[in-house]
Order: sequence, then structure tokens, then C-alpha cells
Amino acid sequence: MPLSVFLLKLKGMMKMADMQNSNVEIMLKDIGMVYKTNDGRDVTALTGVSLDIQKGEFISLLGPSGCGKTTLLRIIADLLQPTSGEISIAGESPRDARLSKKYGIVFQSPVLYDWRTVKKNIMLPLEIMHIPKAEREDRAMKMLDIVGLTEFANHYPNQLSGGMQQRVGIARALAIQPQILLMDEPFSALDEFTKEKLHEDLLRIWAKTNKTIIFVTHNIQEAVFLSSRICVLSPHPGRLSAVIDVDLPRPRTMDIKDTPEFTAYVAKVRNSFEGI
Amino acid sequence: MSVLKRLSKSKYFNTVLWIVILIIVWEIGATVVAATKRSPENILPHLSGIIESVVSKDTINGSQTAVQMVLENAKATISRALVGFGIGTALGFVLALFMSRFKTVEKIAFPYLMIIQMIPILGMAPLIFAITQDISKSRIIIAAILTFYPVATNTLAGFKAVEKEKHELMISYAASKFQLYTKTMIPSCIPYFFTGLKISAPMAITASILVDTLQGGIGLGCLLSQALKGAMSRYVFWQIVFLSAFIGIFSFLLMGIIEYVLCPYKRKGNKQEE
Amino acid sequence: MSEKALKRKKIDFNSVSSVLYPVLFGILIFILWECGVLNTVLKTDTNILPAPTRIAGIMSENSSKISENLSATMTVIIWGLIAGSFLGYMAAVFATRFPNFGKGALTVLSVFNAIPIVALAPVFNNWTKDVSSEASVRSTVAKILVVTVVCAASMSINAYRGLTELKPFSLDLMKSYAADNMTVFKKLRFHNSIPYIFTALKVSVPSSVITALVSEYFAEYRMGIGRQIRDNISIAQYSAGWAYIAVACLIGILMYIILIIFEGIFTKRHRK
Repeated sequence: MPLSVFLLKLKGMMKMADMQNSNVEIMLKDIGMVYKTNDGRDVTALTGVSLDIQKGEFISLLGPSGCGKTTLLRIIADLLQPTSGEISIAGESPRDARLSKKYGIVFQSPVLYDWRTVKKNIMLPLEIMHIPKAEREDRAMKMLDIVGLTEFANHYPNQLSGGMQQRVGIARALAIQPQILLMDEPFSALDEFTKEKLHEDLLRIWAKTNKTIIFVTHNIQEAVFLSSRICVLSPHPGRLSAVIDVDLPRPRTMDIKDTPEFTAYVAKVRNSFEGI
Repeated sequence: MSVLKRLSKSKYFNTVLWIVILIIVWEIGATVVAATKRSPENILPHLSGIIESVVSKDTINGSQTAVQMVLENAKATISRALVGFGIGTALGFVLALFMSRFKTVEKIAFPYLMIIQMIPILGMAPLIFAITQDISKSRIIIAAILTFYPVATNTLAGFKAVEKEKHELMISYAASKFQLYTKTMIPSCIPYFFTGLKISAPMAITASILVDTLQGGIGLGCLLSQALKGAMSRYVFWQIVFLSAFIGIFSFLLMGIIEYVLCPYKRKGNKQEE
Repeated sequence: MSEKALKRKKIDFNSVSSVLYPVLFGILIFILWECGVLNTVLKTDTNILPAPTRIAGIMSENSSKISENLSATMTVIIWGLIAGSFLGYMAAVFATRFPNFGKGALTVLSVFNAIPIVALAPVFNNWTKDVSSEASVRSTVAKILVVTVVCAASMSINAYRGLTELKPFSLDLMKSYAADNMTVFKKLRFHNSIPYIFTALKVSVPSSVITALVSEYFAEYRMGIGRQIRDNISIAQYSAGWAYIAVACLIGILMYIILIIFEGIFTKRHRK
């Protein structure tokens, strides 16, 4: 192994060791993602994204379509490999973090298995992790309780509404007891009323479980209501144009949306978009 | 009036209505034929005549009534079709599995699968018989080939229809390929698998009957050849025809019933609200 | 190699190997067959399983007799396809126009998909006994009828789906233009059904080839590729039988290819 590469690896390892002592859960440095389209062009989905995500914070990745927010989430989830930059999650590479089940992921559509009951859907990752049956059942029931769907344990997904299915998706992600929850526009397919209820449920779950939540959305109000910090991403090329702290008091309820402070944050976020 | 109206809204009313129309047209045709032809039973017998021959207790060949003989032959045909059907299903499913798991297998096998669809396998029945010189083996081989294609292509379509997010979910759980298949891919493809079965079940029956016609012995096809040569009453011929049709339709429905039993999640449909 | 060039190479390999692998495999089988390895495996002699080149030779020797039978079979197939597809489509149109009344007709028609050809062929043979005094005409009509029924069954279901499974709100749009039923049909339903017509044909074209061949077994008049296959093999004239089998396979493959080409032409126009 050439010396330069060795030194780089050493530096990376030292940084990771450093991270384990600090409060930083996820460290992104200069992340870039370039891919080729069918006609051979280069598309820069992300460029120069650097960010430190603290333990237990609720952070949103906010932006219009094409700004790379989903790409960024997928990079963190090790579903995509960045073309440049470094990333470490709780002191590990994304791959190791995935293999050690450090995160749970919730997609835009619930992605439930039609042929499994609600309870069995939640138990799916636990089966894969070879967790013994008794504990699987126990955890599944606890998760159902947290999302408020205990009576529907033996229903099938097609008997549930969209919002309820998404709650099952969240329960399933929580079942593996991850440190981090990755959510990719989980509520964008739902109507406003269901969305508001789920916002409150999500904040309640977050307060109770203290996970680090990375939440992708294109809805400014949603981001301001839920997050402690908002990363504003702008497209063409996808980049981080601003990171805004949201200092609204917690616990947050619907009424906060009527306050002038809330409106001010929404305006601030909106103005920080570039190139739209 | 309201009873009739309620009935007419039911799903089955339509089908029943048309069956009734068909029967009426048949009977009219039979009457016309009876008035103008020498041996009307050949062409279009009255349905009553057929039913009469079914329930009649007269023996045909000294030991069995018409119905008994037809049923006995039917049993033989079905049981052999079953073997070919079973083999074809198993092979088709396994091939689809391999094609899904290994891209190379898919690339090689796909055009040949297409070719199997395009060439008339049933037309090659005499040849397969000549190669194997064994009527039972040829029956099984042909039924297996005819079953194999729809099962393989439909099951493969089922595997391919698994949405990207389900794959990503499995990746996020660091699931092994084995777990991916057993927990996700195989259960997903079941509806498609049954579509393949519904297509191939009647074909296996057809194959079995057809191979029967190539050589004497027991089986609906053999009986059919004999009946065509005039070796027995015309009504036996019609019994065979109707029974074959019925078996074909029934095998199709049977697959649907099995699917209904195996997939409880498809039945329930009433959506809850928040 | 730079990353860009590597990526380009990967894409080409994928499409090239998709064609290369099956072709290589096919060549392998061909060689095995020609050299007699296949014969040893299947325990047959070269009489029953002649080498491909020999089959080709026989085909060219008997070309006139082959073409005679071929035209008989093709007549049945083509007429059956046209009549059956037309009938099936009309049935679907009927069911669309009168939904409450017509759906049952479709169910009844679709049932014919499940009825073994071996049950239908003799019945139709008997029915056409008086159509003409010539055995060849009688048999041809009977065979065409069987193919018609099979094609109609396949076409009717698919055409019905094509005529009725419209994009949401497109019917509402038509209603807002106060369009009458005929206009809706011409401008919306018909175009929508074209891909479905091809879906039906992809099933009914191979199916009509098989049906034609099998119904020849039961026909009175001994003409047609299917009949020749059966007769030749039953008198142990295997090489002639194989020649006809090869022709049958070619019919199936060529018709399917033609169908795919037509599909490409017609659905490109209708694809947005």
C-alpha cells in the first residue's frame, strides 16, 4: 500500500476515534455525487455537502425536486456510494453502520408486505436479524403501542388507510432499535389532516425515544414545525445553501403554526433558496 | 320486480343469462337439425338426449354404463396430466428463480423461452412419442413443456415486479440473498405464479387428451378416437366432449380456488379510516 | 482506464452479452445435434432424430409437397385469426356498449380458452359436414371455425380491457365535450385498445398455429402440416415428419416475428 494512502487511512481512523467521543452522530465532508444519464451526460446531483449531525437532533433536508436531498439520504443509508467526499456514521463507514443496524429507514410509500399482517410486517427485520421469537413479539407489540395501532395487529395492510400504513412503516423502522431514523418524504402522499396528526405523533415518538432523525421533505412548513435544524438544499447542482437553526420551543403543537415566530422562520427558510 | 332487479345486479346473473341463451340457441339448432338430417345425434343432439344417456343405466360394453366408462377414462387422463403438470410447474418455478437470481441464466434462457412459446409443441406430439416410444412418458413430457412456459414467464414477471423500495429495505436490513428471496421475492410472485398456473392447467389437460389419441388404451383421447370411428353410441361422443370441456374449465377454476385459499390477504378488503 | 470509459464499457457488455450468450448456447446445441451427441443422450438413432442438415436437405427435396400443405395450413391460420380477432373485438365492443348485458357474453367466450382443442375440433368437424360436397372445403371450414373460436376467446377479454380500462378522467373529459358514444369510441376507446389488441395477438397467434395443426388431426381431409407430421411419423417416415415439424416451427417463429414488427409500427404511433 503506498504511503500516501496509508496516511490518509490513518487520518480517517483518528478522526473516527475522535468522533466517538464527541456528540456528532453523522459527519459528512465534501460529499459529491455525479452520475451519467442514458445519453452519456454528467449530472451533478450533489456537490460539496459538508455537515455535522448531532446525536438526538431532528434535522430536515429541505428543497425542491432535483436538489439532491433524497440522494443525500440514500448516501447516508449506504444505498448509494458518493463519488467524492467522506462520511462516517457513529464512527463507522455507512456500510458498517448498515450492517450493524444503526439506522431504520422509512420511505415515501409504506412498502408493507401485503401478505403479512401488521404485526408480522413489524417483525420482518427482526426475523432477518435472527432475534428469538418471544422477543420479536414483544418488540412488535411495543412498537404498535408507540404508534397507536395495537388493535390492528392482525389486520392486513390493504385494510388500513394510507396514514395508518405509514405508521406501521415507522413502527417497523423503530423495531430494530436503531440510533438513527432516516425518513424520505414519509408523509408527502397523505392528506393535510392525516399529515398534521402524524406530525404530532412523530414528535411524540421522538421525544420518547431520543433518536437522531433525518427527515427529507419539500414542504417548508413541515420542516419548520418538526425540526431543530433545517438544511436547505438548492438544485442545479445540488448543494447545501443554508443551515438554519429553528429555535421554537418544544413540545410543539399545531397552535405554534399561527405564531409570528413560526411565520418568520418560514420566510427565512424560503429566502435562503438559491437558483429557483 | 325488485327481486328481479336485485338479481340482475348480481355478478353471476349476466353469465347465467348468457348460458341460458346458449342453451336455447343449441336446442333450437338441435330441433332444426333433427328435422332435416339423417343422423342428427352426430351433429347437434338435443341436450336432453345427452343428459338421458348420462343417467341411463344401459351398459355399453357389457360391464359399464356409458357414464362409468367415460368417467373411468377421464380419471386416467387427469391423473397423467397431473404428473406432467406437477413437473412442469416445479421446473418452471425453479427456472424463474434462477433467471431472477443469476443474470447470465436469464440472458441465455429468455430467447429460448420465447421460442418455446412460438413453436407449436402440441403439434410435435407424434414426434415425442416416436422418440420415447412410451406413451406415458410422452404425455408427461408434453404436459410438462406446456406447463413450464407459462409458469416460468409469469413467475419471472412476478419477481421483476417487486418494487425498488422493497429491495432497498432488504439492503438496509443487511439481509442475505437467501432471506431476500424467501421473505420478499417468493411471496411477492405468488399471484403471478397462479396466473401462470391458470393458463397452463387447461393446457396440460389438452396435452394429455391429445397424446391419448396417438395410441389406444385408457384415456379420454383414446375413447374419443374410438367414438369418432363409430365404435359406440353417438351420445358417448358428446359426453366425452362435454366432460373434456368441463375438466378444462374446472382445472382453471381449481387454480383460482387454491389461490383463494392460500392467500387470505387478498380476500379482505374493507379499508379502515384513521 | 478512466471512470467514464469504464462505465461505457459496462453498458455495452450488458447488451452484447444479452445477445451473445443465447446465440453461443444455440450454436452449442446445434453442434451437439449435428454430431450425434444428442442422439446418444436421448438414446435415439439417426433415423428418428436426423441431423439438422439432413432435415434441411429433405425440406428442399420435397418443397412442392411441403408448400401445398403449407398453404392449406396457412389458409386456416390466417382466416381463423382474422375472423376470430374480429369477432372477439366485436364482442368486446358489444360488452362495452351494453355493459350490464354484455359482460356475461365475455365470460362465456373466455371459457373457450379453457376448453381443450381436442374437444372442439371433432365437434366442428361434424357441424360442417354439409357445408360443401368437397371434403377439402368442409375440413378447411371446420378447422377455420376452431381457430376462430380460440382467437375470439383471447381477443375478446383483452379488447374489453383495452376499451374500458381508460386513464382516469378521460371519459369525464369526453362527457364534458358532450361527445356521443360513437365519438368516444373513435377518439378514445379504440386508440386505447390498440396495445391490448397486440397483447391478445401475442397469445392468439401461437395459439392459432397450434390449434390449426391439432385440428388437422381430426379433419376428414388429410391435408396440412399437422396432419403430415402425424401421418409421416405413424408410418415411421421420420425424416419427412421432421421436415414438416421444422416447417411448423418456422411458421410459428415467423408469424410471431411479423407480429412483433407490426406491434412496433402500430404502437409507436399511438405511444405518446
